[in-house]
Amino acid sequence: MNLEKVIFGFFIVLALTLNFGFFLGEMDEIEHHNVLELFIVIVVNLIATILKLGDRSQIGAVLLATSLVADLQLIMAAIYWTFAVHITGTGLTPGLMASIVSLSGGALLANIISTVILVSETLMSRL
Amino acid sequence: MAAPVDLSRVTFIVMRDMRRPMMALLLVYSISILGMTLIPGIEKDGKTEAMSIFHAFYFMTYTATTTGFGEIPNPFSDAQRFWAIICLYTSVITWVYAIGVIVHLLQNPFFIHALAEWKFSRNVRSIQTPYFILCGFGDTGSVLARGLSDYGWACVIIDENEERIKALQLRNYKVPMMGLYADASVPKHLLEAGVKRKNCKAIVAITNNEEINLKISTTARVLNPNIIIITMSKVEVVEDTLANLGGEVHIVDPFKTFAKVLAAAIHNPGFFALNRWLVREKKERINYHINPPLGKWVICGYGRMGYEINRVLAKHGVTTTIIDPHVCESEESNHYIVGRTTSKTLVQAKIEEAVGILAGTNDDGHNLGVLLNARYFNPNLFTIVRQNRHENEVAFEAGKTDIIMQPTLVTARKILFLLIAPLLKPFFFYLLEDKVGRADEMQNVIESLKTTIGDKTPYLTTINFTREHSKAVIQWLDKGEDVFLGDLLKHPDNRNNLLELVVFIIKSKNEFIVLPKEDYKIKEGDQILFCGTRRAQCLFNAIINNEYKLFYTQTGSFMPRSWVAQWLAQIMDYFSDRKLN
Repeated sequence: MNLEKVIFGFFIVLALTLNFGFFLGEMDEIEHHNVLELFIVIVVNLIATILKLGDRSQIGAVLLATSLVADLQLIMAAIYWTFAVHITGTGLTPGLMASIVSLSGGALLANIISTVILVSETLMSRL
Repeated sequence: MAAPVDLSRVTFIVMRDMRRPMMALLLVYSISILGMTLIPGIEKDGKTEAMSIFHAFYFMTYTATTTGFGEIPNPFSDAQRFWAIICLYTSVITWVYAIGVIVHLLQNPFFIHALAEWKFSRNVRSIQTPYFILCGFGDTGSVLARGLSDYGWACVIIDENEERIKALQLRNYKVPMMGLYADASVPKHLLEAGVKRKNCKAIVAITNNEEINLKISTTARVLNPNIIIITMSKVEVVEDTLANLGGEVHIVDPFKTFAKVLAAAIHNPGFFALNRWLVREKKERINYHINPPLGKWVICGYGRMGYEINRVLAKHGVTTTIIDPHVCESEESNHYIVGRTTSKTLVQAKIEEAVGILAGTNDDGHNLGVLLNARYFNPNLFTIVRQNRHENEVAFEAGKTDIIMQPTLVTARKILFLLIAPLLKPFFFYLLEDKVGRADEMQNVIESLKTTIGDKTPYLTTINFTREHSKAVIQWLDKGEDVFLGDLLKHPDNRNNLLELVVFIIKSKNEFIVLPKEDYKIKEGDQILFCGTRRAQCLFNAIINNEYKLFYTQTGSFMPRSWVAQWLAQIMDYFSDRKLN
């Protein structure tokens, strides 16, 4: 067992599960989606991205790419949220929440791909 | 070509080392923001409200960077203030740590070198004009680079000495000179210097190391079969290998070159000065005659220089006495004195009866000493002295010698001629041939140079009559009309005046036409070499590329430029034709 591998796997899977947790619920129901949860999803995703930096293999490059996609989508969602609440002053509406959640849904897909790659690579090296 | 492998490898290492500081920053920021959003703020209307994530991030942004805007948007509660203290110290310390790591990484010598290499190869790829690669930037290299810059040729320089490459940026060259601090014999660096590019015309290998020069030459030949290779060599075995590399290879030996020029000077007193004037030797006048006397010579130092000079002098029937500390089997003992050159050996060599002396050892101080000693015994000697190091220039100039021979200068000039005026060699070969009338022809060349250029700086120019370099002439030829050389030499402002230039030689296919006459008909693909002033060079270029100027020098009338003028000219022609009929 390798501690680095444990940490690496932990954060990638955590990014996926937290993202899923945020995504879960009615899309346009504001009560179902917590801002703190989104914040933590972003932080964990960024940690996963940094952990993937510096890997020269082909798989490492694809992993980094999926992570960057997830970061981009989640940060877009956060900016959207910030604009709605603080800048335009419209406040959160069900329509806005639907957009934010759909953005995080895209990030979820990227995180699923990342996890699938991680698992399949592990299985291949085990065989 | 993608970025060199080195850079991508180093970039990955840098990125990997950046993981830890980035992670630290991320953690500190997220924990601080999280804390701020959880800690209750000041009581307002009986309600306590914590900061939103957005405001907490804003607070961290100005706190971590020590900007410190204060308590925004509302005054903080004491609990928030307590947390702010922790946030501030941890985040600032983390930033300091992160910046320290970044600076340390950027100072990594491998990273810096890889970056310089990448920049260099990118700059080389941006060169559009023809250029040369120069491997070795010592005394010879810097003189050569200066000469090429004066003639407007770009150069790519590779040297193993980092200081020399850094100094390159401080010199005021007229054209961009790119430098790379690297081992030129590594093929990768030659590729980065663009050895395979089409506009890379020649590679000059003049490092101090014979082996490296050989390796550069062979590598260059393998990579690019068409490139011209110029190198120096002192060892015969190496020379044999070089000569059979295939393609165009020139091996420059400064002592052989100097000996040839000296031999030419014995019979053609003007030639030596002409040669030096063309290379723009300081204070050299074209009508200055140097006349090495025939008689008894004393040669001090029988190294490569002594050997070559002795051979040349012997060929012209001059008797020589050699003084050298090393025993030489092949020379007869009656004119070979073993020992260091001192006043004793000089007397032994009968210096009082000699007409000339050569101080040709590889020790500058010794050479000057020999010179002064010899003058003491015989003040009327013709003196040739070898100056090995450029830094001793002042001492040698004060020595008032007839000829100072600097191997580095001779090499640099020889290479410069090979690069910018390859036709000079057949031209000089023709002039120096041992035939009747050649000496007079040389005198004529010198006279005409004196009248046309005089005290101005001479520019040797090689021009190819190709579609690319002389558009107008080729257009004219396409029409089936003749272009006479004489018409190209007329001034485009007033064709009764001539340009300040002297045509030396034209190469047409494989034939050389030395000192071509005015009625020479230019053919496509001809190569011409002339010597003129800077202005004449520009005007000549204008004539062969601008159809209006060419039309004027050819016919004496002006070609109509605009449509209306052309139309009017046609009508005029029509009427004048009718009148004649």
